[in-house]
Amino acid sequence: MTTTAVHAGLEGAIADLRQSIGSEFVLTEPYHRAIRSSSAAPFGVHLWQDTLPDLVVRPGSTADVIEIVRIANRWKVPIVPRGAGAGLADGAMPLRRGIVVDIKRMHDVLEIDDDNMTVTVQPGINMMELNKILRPLNVWFPDDPASYPVNVLGGRVGTGGWSLVGAGYGHIPNNVVSMEVVTPTGEVIRVGEGGARKIRKASTGYRMKELFIGHQGTLGIVTELTLDLSPRPEVEFPAFFAVRDWRDSWRLTQTLGKSGLKTISGIFQFDERKVDFLRRDDEAWIPLPDWVQGATGVICYGREAEVNAAKPIIFDLAKEAGATYLGQEMSEGDWASRHDRYHLAYHGRSGGKIKLMAWSIDDCAVQWSELPAVKKRWYEIADALVAKHPEHFDVWGMFMYTNNPFRPWGDHLTELDMGINELEMTPEIWADWIEAKTEIARTAVRHGGSVSACHGGTREGEVNVSCYEELAEGQFELMKKLKRLLDPENIMNPGKYNLDEAYEGDAR
Amino acid sequence: MTQQLSSKPFYGQRIEVRSVPDPIVKDCFAVFACRHKFCREVCPVYQDDRDESHTSYGFHSTLLAISQGIGSLEDVRDQVTNCLECGACELRCPNTLFAGDFYGASTTTVDLVRKVRRDLVAADIGFEKYEAIIEVIDKYLSYFTGPEEDLTRWAEGLNLPFTGETILFVDYFNAFETTVVARNAAKILSAAGVSYGILRHPGATLGELLDVDLDAFVEHARYNVNELVTAGAKRVILINPHDYTYFTRDYTAYLGELPFEVVYVTDVIDELITSGAITFEGASPLSGNVSYHDPCTLNKICGITESPRRIIRSLPGLNFVDVSPVAQWSYCCGKGSSSFKVLHPDTSYRIGARRLQAAADVGAERLVLACPHCEDQLTDVRARSGAPVEPIHVLALVAQAMGLE
Ligand SMILES: Cc1cc2nc3c(=O)[nH]c(=O)nc-3n(C[C@H](O)[C@H](O)[C@H](O)COP(=O)(O)OP(=O)(O)OC[C@H]3O[C@@H](n4cnc5c(N)ncnc54)[C@H](O)[C@@H]3O)c2cc1C
Ligand code: SF4
Repeated sequence: MTTTAVHAGLEGAIADLRQSIGSEFVLTEPYHRAIRSSSAAPFGVHLWQDTLPDLVVRPGSTADVIEIVRIANRWKVPIVPRGAGAGLADGAMPLRRGIVVDIKRMHDVLEIDDDNMTVTVQPGINMMELNKILRPLNVWFPDDPASYPVNVLGGRVGTGGWSLVGAGYGHIPNNVVSMEVVTPTGEVIRVGEGGARKIRKASTGYRMKELFIGHQGTLGIVTELTLDLSPRPEVEFPAFFAVRDWRDSWRLTQTLGKSGLKTISGIFQFDERKVDFLRRDDEAWIPLPDWVQGATGVICYGREAEVNAAKPIIFDLAKEAGATYLGQEMSEGDWASRHDRYHLAYHGRSGGKIKLMAWSIDDCAVQWSELPAVKKRWYEIADALVAKHPEHFDVWGMFMYTNNPFRPWGDHLTELDMGINELEMTPEIWADWIEAKTEIARTAVRHGGSVSACHGGTREGEVNVSCYEELAEGQFELMKKLKRLLDPENIMNPGKYNLDEAYEGDAR
Repeated sequence: MTQQLSSKPFYGQRIEVRSVPDPIVKDCFAVFACRHKFCREVCPVYQDDRDESHTSYGFHSTLLAISQGIGSLEDVRDQVTNCLECGACELRCPNTLFAGDFYGASTTTVDLVRKVRRDLVAADIGFEKYEAIIEVIDKYLSYFTGPEEDLTRWAEGLNLPFTGETILFVDYFNAFETTVVARNAAKILSAAGVSYGILRHPGATLGELLDVDLDAFVEHARYNVNELVTAGAKRVILINPHDYTYFTRDYTAYLGELPFEVVYVTDVIDELITSGAITFEGASPLSGNVSYHDPCTLNKICGITESPRRIIRSLPGLNFVDVSPVAQWSYCCGKGSSSFKVLHPDTSYRIGARRLQAAADVGAERLVLACPHCEDQLTDVRARSGAPVEPIHVLALVAQAMGLE
């Protein structure tokens, strides 16, 4: 829950920041702050004032970041790191206002070591831009979320994100070798497997790197990352198969996942309501006949020889499962638009008419066996919400993607997409929405899943389920102790993950 | 006052200091709600300053914030000047990709930036260096009122008539600054046997007017159309791609369908090469590695990308290292569609330097251009930066290959 915070030390902090990182990069005008009040998650336009940061700073170096953190501690003004601001868990939303540290100016490539297959970058660089630079060396950094053209690496690490081709290449936590982090008190540390910058597997010390991935900016600011490169795949082969009943798609996913084919880098399911939604509203989607009530897509990356060898096996397995190949055009077209089609305000519908709606997504991790039960319950929750507020919500169907890194089986990123009419939101409807979100998150946890596979579980509506239900077996208690140890003044992104509880009873 | 017309007629409604008309709120919300933010890395200004305030998302979100009581119209002063009006963000926006044709709901940042610039002027708020833009306008409008013979001095010795079914329209920038472009165009057309004339007294075609004085822009538009009709034009050849956007988008919006065909010079020359009217036999062949720079106005706004490439491929002796027009959405010469260079000379220079560097990176020795503004800008940038890539106008290469120099 947001409270409008007032920081007595603000004027002092602004003066010191201007002095140390330059007035040009200390921004106090309303527009600079307004556009950095939210990230990509549903945003209560009616609540905008509550998360308006007091100022924005744009550091250009690790030294700048250290200065910012020290000044924030000195004046006790909170800091919120901001990458691309495309996170879907509100991680970059300044719940206690304060200073937004926009790291996008720090976007240099510091070293490419193609002998040892690493690249070292600053946190403000975007993956697509990085891969343009790497292309002539025939290597790539294989982090491919649907938000690939916009995210920056600091934000990717801040959320501990998920990649569409993670079943082949791993996700962001698997592909960061080591990092330089400015801690909440302004020290600079390096965290890796052990202490070495380019070693992927070491057995020295604690596994500290993990602690600094997915913390949503609550434990420090990443200022440098050494990343694991992969050879560029020689070919990409997507194949999409239609089914008459989503359950066939669910079973086919399992069969393909357990087929042992190493070139499979991701498997995706579209359920019947997603297919309907795409029929209705995705202009790039080739309309499918009515009998199509689900689809499974599989993507193979690798050398041409191995992908060619995998193709007939995939087609045979799909045929045995009663699935129909949708053809090359549909398969390639759909894979090509994987970054583009996520959200459009014009996809909102109320009684068939366009209603401008923003995109809301739940991204729970769910085991394969539990998918049907979770799906059923989620639709009950979502449909009840739409029935109550037809002008404000719309159901956009579900996707399910392989979630296990390097292995296309086991758990699935399970996504329920909805439209939400932010422009006409009221506090009462927002409260109903939060309640529905809580139920959706709770359903996943009760079925042995996780609140979030990629975005983080700190959004209003799901944060309590994350902290008190999913992380109940001592983890949340340990998180609070660690937070307090590393951030004695609660400077870094306060309000996230209910970590303010760690300071309850303090005089401050 | 002339009403703003765009694909979104509601851009005619004024944004006041603290209130935004409802349809514009919705228009801005569609960009704000499109949290892809793909308009960011493609924006040449953002690539330079890495400030998300200066992106299509930042601009639309600021207007939305104003509608919600956060900030005021004064806030957008900085944003409207930090736009090249290149159109990259519009193309990259998923709204344009998916809702454009279907709902007529493409993102139209360039029109909105121009509209807001005018609203700022109308609200007496203005923006930084507004006076510098007025100076540019005054300078160019003085050509209109100055001695008539100055307007066609660029054509001295070419003996071109002031009538014809085909008229080569030469704007003030080509007539007074990049006169070689105009002369090459004329010489090539004449050598190819095209019968054409020019205007004795063309009116102004200034992006700066669109930005601050729509009435004057439309007045000159109407004047130009009348002059062209009077001269007998059935076909008008343009040699400035900025003019091409004005004639095909803005003139038609304000004046309705034009009574003549409008063509860009590269399309004409490409046809003349295909038909055999232009040949490159006999002249000394060209040499070296060249790449091509898509002018933003041709590529991102009008979609003319192939004719310049076909011309380059047909020139003997050149090794053409092409970079696709889509990859070039994120490039700009740095001058912008109207006043960006005047408003932000340092950023403009760095964007230009980056463009020349990108050409050097693909191994080009010369970067072929199809726009006088790109030529002016990149020649200037090269002189200041010492970049190893020489900018050259495609008409200069054609003229050379035809042995016209
Ligand atoms: C259309 C769309 C599709 C998406 N698809 C996917 C997907 O397929 N997979 C996926 O994982 N996510 C996806 N997302 C969500 C989101 O893009 C990711 O979670 C991404 O990792 C956020 O990165 P960002 O740069 O936008 O970070 P931001 O939103 O700016 O920040 C995210 C978090 O990281 C923190 N942070 C930022 N920089 C730093 C730093 N330097 N040091 C420490 N903490 C930092 C912030 O405080 C915040 O808590 C999608 C989002 C959109 C809009
Ligand atoms: S029009 Fe060009 S400069 Fe303006 S926001 Fe879009 S890409 Fe950036």
